Amino acid sequence: MTVAFYILAGLCVAGALCAMVVRNLVYAVFSMIFFFFSLAGIYVLLLAEFVAAAQVLVYVGGVGILVLFAIMLTRDVTGEGKRHMASKGAWLGGLVAVAVPLALFIPAVWRTPLPESPANAAVRATPVEIGMALMGGGVPALWLVSVLLTAALIGAVVIATQDPPGPGEGEGPAR
Amino acid sequence: MISLKACLTFSAVLFGVGLFGALTRRHAVIVLISIEVMLNAANLNFIAFWRFNPHPEAMAGPLFVIFNIAIAAAEAAVGLALVIAVYRSLRSVNLEKVDSLKG
Repeated sequence: MTVAFYILAGLCVAGALCAMVVRNLVYAVFSMIFFFFSLAGIYVLLLAEFVAAAQVLVYVGGVGILVLFAIMLTRDVTGEGKRHMASKGAWLGGLVAVAVPLALFIPAVWRTPLPESPANAAVRATPVEIGMALMGGGVPALWLVSVLLTAALIGAVVIATQDPPGPGEGEGPAR
Repeated sequence: MISLKACLTFSAVLFGVGLFGALTRRHAVIVLISIEVMLNAANLNFIAFWRFNPHPEAMAGPLFVIFNIAIAAAEAAVGLALVIAVYRSLRSVNLEKVDSLKG
């Protein structure tokens, strides 16, 4: 199981790095989708199968397709890529991005005494248990997330479908 | 067996990769992809801590991750709608060109 974990972890990091670095935007999105699949595999290794299924359904099937649609609608895919891809302060950004995990996260993880084996491998997050938890103590959170999702999706539709006013149509239906 | 240290180190590396993409690239969609990578690294942290620790509240880990996935999907939708709206008026998704508020 350790070998499977390291293989999947390597695939995840490779997928995420390719998504950041590759010049072609569609390849970057496909690499991100591959990263989502590998991360779902790691969730299965950590015995959280429902979360793995939710990850594939929502991230791969939702967010991945959404990003592909957004790329097709902003069709400048490789036009800007003729010059460099990096932003102006990119060297400083890259330095910070390498320094933050190396100096903050990884020493904090390696210096803390952590348990070696899973303490409660018997606790399984089956859909029945998750449903009971959601409908039991998690009802306010469920309400809030549903309101947030509704507001976010309606807002996204409103933002994305506004037409910019043309030169001669300031009045609209009064014509 | 997988150790908690390996999981947390891997999650920290993933977060660093996402941060690298968000701070380095100037294409708006790539920055949104980097934010999704960072959110997934945080989700992996939650699941790792849930699996490796004894706890009375048994479903807190997957529940939090499910809410996080939902919020990340909603944020991706709104972010991409903003990218489409900006593209419509600026004809570019270069983040360095979005500077009309610059003093």
